[in-house]
Amino acid sequence: MRKHQINLTVNSQVYQLEVGTGQGRVNPSDTLSFTLRETLGLTGTKLSCDGGACGGCTVLMDGEAVLSCMLLTIECDGKIITTIEGLKDAKTGELDPLQQSFIDHTAFQCGYCTPGMIMSAKALLNENPAPTEAEVKKALSGNFCRCISHYQVVRAVMDATGKGR
Amino acid sequence: MRTFDHIDVYSIAEACTTLREYQGRARLNAGGSDLLTVLKGDFLADYPEAVINLKTISGMDYIREDGEYLRIGTLTRLTDLVSSPLLKEKYPVLSEAAYTVATPQIRNVATLGGNLCQDTRCWYYRYPRSIGGPVQCLRKGSGPCLAIKGDNRYHAIMGGKKCFAVCPSDMAVALAALDGKVIIVGPEGERRVEVTDFYHPTGNELAKDEVVREIEIPIKRTPTQQSFRKFTLRKPIDFAIVSSATVITVAQGICTDARIVLGAVAPAPVRAKAAEELLIGKPITEETDTAAAEKALVGAKPLSKNEYKIQIAKTLVKQAILGVTD
Amino acid sequence: MADNYRYIGKVVPRSDGRDIVTGGTLFLNDLPFRNLLYGKVLRSPHPHAVIKSIDTKKAEQLKGVRAIITYENVPDWKFGNPPIVHLLDRKVRYVGAAVAIVAAETESICQQALRLIEVEYEVLPAVFDEYEAMQPGAPQLYDQLTGNLLPLMAVNLGPTSATEIVTGDVEAGFAEADAVAEGSFGYDNIPNPIPMEPPGAVVHWEEPNRVTVWVSHQKVWLNKRILTIIFGEEVKVRVIVGPCGGSFGSKTMSWQVQCYAAALSKATGQPVKLCYSKEEQLACFVLRPATRINGKVGMKKDGTVTAVAGSWILGTGYYSMTMQTQLAVGCGEAMIAIRSKNWNLKPAIVCTNRNSSGIVRGFGGQELKCALIPLLSLAMEKLNLDPFEVLKKNFIKPGDGYYWRDAQWYNYRGIDYSPAMDQGAKVFGWKDKWKGWLKPTAVKGTKSIGVGVGIHGNADVGEDVGEAYVRIDNDGRIVIIQGLAEHGTGQRNNTLKVAAEVLQVPIENVSITPGDSLITPVEWGPAGSRGTYGILGAVIAAAEDAKKKLFELAAPMLGANNPEELDTADSVIWLKSNPQKSVTWKEVLHLRSVLGHGRFDADYTLANCMMSFVEVQVDTETGKLDVLRVVNTTDAGQIIDPQGLEGQLNGCLGSAGIDSAVFEETILDPSSGRILNANLIDYKWRTTAELPEIENVVMETPMGTHRFKAIGVGEISTSPGPSAVLMAASNAIGQWLHEYPVTPERVLKALGKTTGENRGGAR
Repeated sequence: MRKHQINLTVNSQVYQLEVGTGQGRVNPSDTLSFTLRETLGLTGTKLSCDGGACGGCTVLMDGEAVLSCMLLTIECDGKIITTIEGLKDAKTGELDPLQQSFIDHTAFQCGYCTPGMIMSAKALLNENPAPTEAEVKKALSGNFCRCISHYQVVRAVMDATGKGR
Repeated sequence: MRTFDHIDVYSIAEACTTLREYQGRARLNAGGSDLLTVLKGDFLADYPEAVINLKTISGMDYIREDGEYLRIGTLTRLTDLVSSPLLKEKYPVLSEAAYTVATPQIRNVATLGGNLCQDTRCWYYRYPRSIGGPVQCLRKGSGPCLAIKGDNRYHAIMGGKKCFAVCPSDMAVALAALDGKVIIVGPEGERRVEVTDFYHPTGNELAKDEVVREIEIPIKRTPTQQSFRKFTLRKPIDFAIVSSATVITVAQGICTDARIVLGAVAPAPVRAKAAEELLIGKPITEETDTAAAEKALVGAKPLSKNEYKIQIAKTLVKQAILGVTD
Repeated sequence: MADNYRYIGKVVPRSDGRDIVTGGTLFLNDLPFRNLLYGKVLRSPHPHAVIKSIDTKKAEQLKGVRAIITYENVPDWKFGNPPIVHLLDRKVRYVGAAVAIVAAETESICQQALRLIEVEYEVLPAVFDEYEAMQPGAPQLYDQLTGNLLPLMAVNLGPTSATEIVTGDVEAGFAEADAVAEGSFGYDNIPNPIPMEPPGAVVHWEEPNRVTVWVSHQKVWLNKRILTIIFGEEVKVRVIVGPCGGSFGSKTMSWQVQCYAAALSKATGQPVKLCYSKEEQLACFVLRPATRINGKVGMKKDGTVTAVAGSWILGTGYYSMTMQTQLAVGCGEAMIAIRSKNWNLKPAIVCTNRNSSGIVRGFGGQELKCALIPLLSLAMEKLNLDPFEVLKKNFIKPGDGYYWRDAQWYNYRGIDYSPAMDQGAKVFGWKDKWKGWLKPTAVKGTKSIGVGVGIHGNADVGEDVGEAYVRIDNDGRIVIIQGLAEHGTGQRNNTLKVAAEVLQVPIENVSITPGDSLITPVEWGPAGSRGTYGILGAVIAAAEDAKKKLFELAAPMLGANNPEELDTADSVIWLKSNPQKSVTWKEVLHLRSVLGHGRFDADYTLANCMMSFVEVQVDTETGKLDVLRVVNTTDAGQIIDPQGLEGQLNGCLGSAGIDSAVFEETILDPSSGRILNANLIDYKWRTTAELPEIENVVMETPMGTHRFKAIGVGEISTSPGPSAVLMAASNAIGQWLHEYPVTPERVLKALGKTTGENRGGAR
């Protein structure tokens, strides 16, 4: 069966997207990262390798960390997606404790990997609010950072544990 | 990525019919972790007209014991293989293998069926269109295997005939050590294939209109020592340079049964039968272990840059049998 | 020291932090544009070929295609040193060379169009090895070059530039040596710095001659200068540089990606975005230079290096933009690290048919030293000398001097870094762990542990020039006007810190303009650790100038004869002699603002220093090497930003640093010249799951720089590590390893565990 329309919940907002070509539609070959960035304008999700290896485009799908460059949007019908833009409190603008901890520890250099790092860490804390340092390192092992922010990232995540709920 | 038709299917039968309709011009998609890299790299001559989504088939992700067999559905995610209490307890070789695959994000979507059916990682075969265009090779149907005279550090040390690409699947290695069978469904019905026979020198056993439905593993009545080892330059992300899976039964200090399988050394997982035979009936000692490891690699024929894989393979087998931990 | 300061040395959240953690930072590919077209490049499948014919007709007919440019209709833009590289050429010189560029309404139409372009090539013999390229009869890449050799003069260094190190009498030096070592040593695995954000640009060319460029880049003014040279002085170029997702030097070489977009914009009249894919970044952008020395060193029993002689071959790939400068800097850095009186080091820069090498953190010196230290190690082994002591002894000391990149002699006026090195050795436990050459520190079963040490320093900490303005507005807010991109060092935030410190205002009151060449003055940009001294130096001077001008206005209001009688904090100015007598900035700046100007002029009399100690574990059964621990030691004079500094030093593991001895390399197919591992799975990079223990020892001995006595050390952190790993691995297994990276294959070969037979596929 061919889909003609898909429903996507992104950061609590429901989007009904037509399948097809042209502005605002979802082409069958569109990846979720493309849809988020180019169709919905959510450019916080970063593309780097576009090949499933760097974790820059990590978002949460039904609460789990996934690579948005490696998913076809058309196959995400009915899914609940959270992107980096969806972490802060929409009303008050208050940051997620994880985000605040990244600022406090300067857990970034150029900042390009940061949204993906935070989303991977968020998925971990959703599942395991009090991880060990080893668990944090494993959970972030699919996130490329060339500046080597890793040490400060691990510290920031550890510092944020338990504060998120 | 170039565009394609996209079709959701709701049963394996529908997947087969759809494949048949497209006469080889459609590709199946489960997790997408491999297929999307193939399509983005655009390195194959036959870009699909359609992608068939299997994820809309319900009830295909399961891990259950059913009398004689452990059965795992083709759409079972690697994440679920890692965390399954049943596998951890009775089939640790499977959960350990699943854990070594890729990264957390990939394991959250990648499926067992997809892991088994993924295309080779040979870097000649996969050379992408965007930086000078794909290259022809034996696996693609014309010309020689480029690894023979090229950089073959990750290529086959045994079993390579004309193509020296290795099977990239870690799960296949672990499943082979458990005597796993791949249940394949086609328009004419089902058939079962040993995991080691699932792979061909330049592809796999699936016909153009067939789908992997399930993996079937005979339940062993006696406890076994299981181990999966994977040698890589980095623990996460990397595909195996060499891997090994061992399932050994020991009774009163004597090895009564053994499965020793090597991965990433050949186009398919390789059962080291000579090594298994050597072990059976003997106590597991440093001596028998070393002898078995040597036996496992008899007949290996390295290429110009991959002789080191022999030494690594021997070490993995040795460590696995002795239960040496890192 | 730091305690006297309000911001210097204190942890201050990065002003761009909130945007970074919320996804609000707009990197190049995130910027919105109207009427935007997309650009893509068709790339050559051959390493060396001439285009016999190129047919774009089918592609032009594709709906949505707006322009196709080939060598036949490309503007006559060329660059490189010498400027012999055409934007598009009839001849292609590496696999991945640009053959045609396309602009279309979507990226996907571009891709389709590329597939419809038909190209016929006359394939030429190619050469990939530098030594072969220099032989008579080798394939020649350019008509303008002989023997594929590039002229050694660096055009950007003024009238002179260092092209070799020849000083003293090496024969006399060898004669007085107690040990002489020689051999061929390379650092030629051409790793890739791979900043996470790929290179890219958006260019809008408005006829006739107005061009606006948005680019992911670390330099504003210099990039504008380069583009103006390429486009012609009559073209008005405006360069806007926003947040840059990493560079490590490489994006300084973004002229081609910008010119592709510019040519397509010129052809279509619309803005064109062209961003490289990761594959293009890995295969068609910037690699580390390949280095090989055939050298000889003499050493005395006390570790004195008596002579260094030999040839230094720098492989630059298909062209050079700055390799001559890297050569010049590398020579100077060698003199800083090795206090020999006698040198005869003769470099050559060679072109081959592969993607270009170029600017990468370490800039010439890392490359040279990674080959020289293994050579020096052989001499140390003969004399049974501790490498830590030898490297410490030979690093520049007050009273020494060196020829720097401009071939001028500079008397060093910096500090003796020995105390920092001693402190690092202590923290690392060097004296306990060092067991002698080719002796492991410990052996546990099949795991053998070894230690190594490396060193690096450069006198580019005061390189080149820069200017800044500091404007104090009538609302008391301060604007720094400086052409500075944030590429990860936190330097934009540091400009706020120093300005707030000089003017004693809350840092929230200070902001910095975007890097926009229409607004911002000459500023060389971040390079060679010059940010702390040069970039901040200009801001400090500008803030001081603004303060002086403010005081000149305030003095009459306070009855002072002279601005020096005044002081200020928190937007209040008072008489030092009578603090009760004060006036607010608001009162002074009624309906006006003041503008201070600051300039930094090059100063090559100081050098920074970093020593790295590493502990590695090698599995003697599998050949696998793991880095267990790294201790970096340095003296930063005065820490400006503790967390930013830590990040820079931890960066030793990234951007083609330490891991270029562990698993990083660019793998070139020996017959086709294709880069086989142009993806982030086959190109190996450090993951969070395998972080070695790391400690950074940072001393703070006041340096003769600016008022805050600080010196930059960020750029050099990648440089000492690779040779240290090689040394450590050799010690671990008791065999010399002289090739980067230390792969299992090489370890097992050194241990005699492989036979070297080739029995397979050749049948």
